[in-house]
Amino acid sequence: MEILWAVLILLGVGLILGFGLAIAAKILHVKEDERIEEVAKRLPNYNCGSCGYAGCHDMAEAIVSGKEENLKKCKPGKEDLNFKPIIEYLNEHPNEDGSKIKAHL
Amino acid sequence: MNNIIAFLLAILSSMLIDNVVLSRFYGICPFLGVSKKVKSSLGMGVAVVFVIVLATLICWPLYNYVLVPAGIPYLDTVAYILVIASLVQLVGLFIKKYSPSLYKSLGIYLPLITTNCAVLGVAQSNTDQGLTFVASLANALGTSLGFLMIIVVFSCIRVRLESANVPKAFKGLPIALITAALMAIAFMGLQGLFSGVNL
Repeated sequence: MEILWAVLILLGVGLILGFGLAIAAKILHVKEDERIEEVAKRLPNYNCGSCGYAGCHDMAEAIVSGKEENLKKCKPGKEDLNFKPIIEYLNEHPNEDGSKIKAHL
Repeated sequence: MNNIIAFLLAILSSMLIDNVVLSRFYGICPFLGVSKKVKSSLGMGVAVVFVIVLATLICWPLYNYVLVPAGIPYLDTVAYILVIASLVQLVGLFIKKYSPSLYKSLGIYLPLITTNCAVLGVAQSNTDQGLTFVASLANALGTSLGFLMIIVVFSCIRVRLESANVPKAFKGLPIALITAALMAIAFMGLQGLFSGVNL
């Protein structure tokens, strides 16, 4: 019985905090380039950090802003599964002035 | 009046005498990691102050009014980690919205406040020692301000060290560690600073 209470209380605390965070995320939302999200989706999303960035989202940001061109820095990424879709996506979605984002293997 | 003085003295003593970084060796990771620039160390320190004080404000009532009455005080560490992790997320969202440059310079160390043992250590020691709410608050404020002060002082020293003529083998982190050790020894000299004061 006591164990049940323990689980329920922790669940309750977690739920309250989770909802609080969800609301805060809505209020404090920062508008960013939607291509970053799309590139991040195509990365392996292990967040291993072996590329030297703080996580997959950070690397996606560097790719879209043009700071990172070498996709091979992502060690766990597979060519067919991750890199080719990213290059394809970037070719289809150029910058506003028409220039393409460079990325290679 | 006496209460206020006792409160301030408690803050000062946990800030200077029991400094978390130098005497209890908590929070060494951001202490070494984010102290290369004064501005980012200031941001880190303020973020840690915010997280520690808020964590204490939430964890103390959570322990005394929820966990203890329910008979599950042994779950305190798990509950604290839950609270601290969400608070760090919140701070991250705030900083990302209002200071993107600080968000960039803190980098991976911002989410790592979650695992900063100073935060968990304060929440845990507050309830383990059975401190009252006000005493916990004083402890939290003192500890976190101590962290802020030390990381800013340390980053000022490190900026100078960059241009100092240090032997090649000591360049970078080694000399920083030696500096931290010297600072710890210097702060030991403050022991007994308030021994004559009756609290």
